[in-house]
Order: sequence, then structure tokens, then C-alpha cells
Amino acid sequence: MTLHWQPSAPEHVPPELMVDFDFFKIPEGLKDPAQIWHGLVRDGAPPIFYTPHNGGHWVFLKYDDIVEGYRDFEKFSTYQTPIPPIEPFPVVMPQGVDPPEHTVFRMLLAPMFTPLAVRRMTEHLQQRAEKLIAGFADKGECDFIADYASIFPTSTFLELFGLPQERLPEFLALSEVFFRSTDPDARAQNLNDIYAVLEDLFREKERNPGNDIASTIVTARDADGNQHKWIDILNCGFLLFVAGLDTVTNTMTYVWRYLATTPEARAYFRSKLDDPQAFLMAIEELMRINAVSNIYRRVTHDFEYKGIRFKRNDRIILPNTVANRDPSIFSNPQSIDLDRKVNNHVTFGVGPHRCIGSHLAKREIMISMQEWLKHIPDFELAPDQAEASVFGGSVMGFTSLKLRW
Amino acid sequence: MKVVANLNVCQGHARCEDICPEVFSTDAIEGKVVIENPEFPPELEEKVRLAVRNCPEGALRIAKGAKA
Ligand code: HEM
Ligand code: SF4
Repeated sequence: MTLHWQPSAPEHVPPELMVDFDFFKIPEGLKDPAQIWHGLVRDGAPPIFYTPHNGGHWVFLKYDDIVEGYRDFEKFSTYQTPIPPIEPFPVVMPQGVDPPEHTVFRMLLAPMFTPLAVRRMTEHLQQRAEKLIAGFADKGECDFIADYASIFPTSTFLELFGLPQERLPEFLALSEVFFRSTDPDARAQNLNDIYAVLEDLFREKERNPGNDIASTIVTARDADGNQHKWIDILNCGFLLFVAGLDTVTNTMTYVWRYLATTPEARAYFRSKLDDPQAFLMAIEELMRINAVSNIYRRVTHDFEYKGIRFKRNDRIILPNTVANRDPSIFSNPQSIDLDRKVNNHVTFGVGPHRCIGSHLAKREIMISMQEWLKHIPDFELAPDQAEASVFGGSVMGFTSLKLRW
Repeated sequence: MKVVANLNVCQGHARCEDICPEVFSTDAIEGKVVIENPEFPPELEEKVRLAVRNCPEGALRIAKGAKA
């Protein structure tokens, strides 16, 4: 079999741009996985460097280059990007294709994720948040991830896809293996399981369409009046399943970890419970400082960028957390300023692939914070935190966060 | 004063709408910015300028020479 998308040996990389960096590796005792990236900047890594780990890839560390990596899809593609390289890799719709092909599924999904559409979901989100929190508020403690942050976005997915909440345990189990397992056999089986569930789901929605995203995708017609390719439909469902779970879970975990240790922040948000606009503005700063996604791109052809030679199929990582603390863009970038006035963070990306779920994600987080602070106005970290509970990778985060009140 | 949007560049982050809903909204199909009344009153100038500066795509600008 010919491998089409494998990077070439990095002979084109000058030695001064080589850095020994493994973005999956968390040094023992590290409590915040984003610090592996900020450590690079502190140690004076070149703003564009190459590491031989994980199949070899570039890293951009300046805001302007990261934004360029997002915008210039003719140079930096989203097609076949996994790090380390795997092929063939599922072409998830619409993230895994470049414009103009990208536009087809993007436009199909867009109306269901606009601010207007998301505002209509507010009441249901509130009811689910409130019910979950009421389930443990009296206990005086919880594991924030197991008891809340993994459940809430998964149940949102069920709602978006017109599935009954009774199926929550099944979907939680599927996502647990998908995001946390390192066993290759379990992972391969898990992918089969997810696609089997999606297959059944879309077949059912094809027969009995409802007012949900799965039905919209499966009943949509392309420019010639035909149903979209079945594999594209499945891959779109797959993306919507995986894109909105771990990202939301770990962003929330960062936020609750900060709230648990910062009484002034809890007081600030409590004082804004009746002012959703101000609440949202302050959340924007939490989005900037807690950017969990490190995004991949693949070089489409040989070229020079900023005087550096890039070769076709080179991989690049765009670490949003680094862009969001670039001192040439943000004043006092390392400090959290809930009143920050200008905040062009890239937590949700920029350009054509800008996170389509950004409005939903922010609303899920806002509603969760509001309902939580109403029931549990004050809380702190429990003293018995689990050891080694952080991980790196394309989404960084935590496996456990114990809170008490 | 007048604010204009470049819809080719707008990607629907809706930061403008969050900051100054009096002037900006987003449409129901693509989620891109809609400016119903590009001429905004002076009391909104600060908020509009803030929205312009917070657009992550640089899609908004205050039209020059359009002083009321
Ligand atoms: C805090 C939570 C989230 C973060 C940090 C996040 C981050 C991102 C980023 C950085 C991208 C750009 C990817 C790229 O340029 O290659 C993206 C794309 C995407 N996200 Fe999110 N996301 C979040 C939540 C969600 C949710 C809740 C959903 C939906 C249910 C979602 C669905 C998507 C989809 C479908 C894309 C691909 C868009 C396209 O290619 O046009 N995300 N996300
Ligand atoms: S903030 Fe900019 S990109 Fe976002 S909707 Fe407004 S004009 Fe468009």
C-alpha cells in the first residue's frame, strides 16, 4: 500500500530549529497540562520549531503565525492531519476538508449552531444542569468530572441528535474509551462501536425524521438533489460526537478548578447572576486563559514561510493556549482579568473552520456556572486529589477534580 | 457615525453581538453579522469601537468620513 500523507525525513530542518518536545508527555507532579507549552516559551524555544517526536512536526508559538495557520488553507490543510501520522484517517465533515468542499457541510450545519438557535436551547440546558447539580448539592462533595463535566455535554449531544436521555450511560462509556484508552485493540473496537451506533441512528432518522441535527443531516440534499454520501454523513455525526465532549469537559474542569481556588472570582460571577451579558464577557476571559485544544495542520506543498522551508506533508501544531498569552497581542497575558476589554483569543480557532459549536459551548458553560453558583455559592478543592490526573495531547485536561463545600 | 462589515471575512464568532447587541446581530442561516442600522448614535460609539476591536477576523470597521 502506498502511504500518501506521511511526512518526509526532516532533512530540510536546520539544527537550530530542532527542539526535543513531546506534547503527550507530562512531567511528574505537573498540575496544569498547558504549562508544558508555556514552559517552551519561557525556555526560549524558537517561535517556529520542529520536534522529532510523534512522527515529527512543527510548532507555531506566535499568535500571528497560529492565526495564519488557521486562515491560509491553501498552505495549511485540515485534510489528513493526525499526529502521529495515521492513514487513512477518517475525513470528518466539515473539519477534515478544506474550502470549497468544506462549505457544503459547514452550511448544512450552520443554522443549527447560530447564536439564535443556541438561545432557543437555553431552557433545556438549564433544566438538565439544575437536575444534575441538585443530585449532589446536599452531599457536600463531588468529583466534578465524573459527576458533572463529562455528563453534561454528553447529554447535550443526545438532545441535539434527538436521542432519549436514557441512553446516557451507553454514550458515556463510548466516549470514555474513545478519549482515555491507550490500548490499540480497545480503541479499534471502540471506533467500530461508535460507527455502528451512528449507522443505526442515521438509518432510524432517515425512516422517522424529527426536529434534530441527525435528521437534518440525513435528509439534506446536495446540489444535485441527492442525499449526501453515506460515509460523509457518518463522519459528520462522528465529528459532532467527539468535538463537543472532551473540549467542553476539560474547559469546564479548568474553570471550576479556578473558581474553587479563587473566592473573588466566585463573588464576581455571583454578582453577575442577573446580568447575562456581563457574565458572558467575563467567560470570554476564562475561554482565553483555558484553551484546551491544540490544533493540527498539514503542509500542502513545498514552500518557504518566514524564511523557513516547509515540505509537503509536514505536520504543524497550533497551540491555542500559547497564542492566547502572546504578549505582543494581550496586555498582562498571564493574569486573569475578568474585565478585559479587548480579547481576540483563538480558543475556538479562526478562519473557515472556526468552531461551529462555540456559541453552544459558551452557553453550556455559562448555564452550568449560573446553576452551580445558585446551588453551591462557595466550594474548594478537596484535600485528597488523585495523583497524576492530568494529560496532554490534542485536547489537554484532567481525569479527576474533587471538590467539596 | 457608521460601521460596516466585510461578510467575506466574517466567520460568525458573534463577539460583536455579545458586546453591542444594539447595533449587531447574527443571521439565522450562516450566523454571520447583520447590521440593521449602520449609522449608530454617539452614545454607542464606545461599545461599537469595542466590538470592532474584538472581532477576531477583523471583519468590522468604522467608515471614515461618515461623521454625523
Ligand atoms: C470549549 C469547548 C470547545 C472548544 C475549545 C472547541 C475548539 C474548536 C476548535 C479550535 C476548532 C477549530 C478546528 C480547526 O480549525 O481545525 C473547532 C472546530 C469544530 N468544533 Fe469545536 N470546540 C468546542 C466545543 C464544541 C462543541 C460543543 C461542538 C458541537 C457540538 C463543536 C463542534 C465543532 C465542529 C463541528 C468543528 C469543525 C468546524 C469546521 O471545520 O468548520 N465544538 N472546535
Ligand atoms: S465578531 Fe466579527 S467575525 Fe464575529 S460575527 Fe461579528 S463581525 Fe463576524
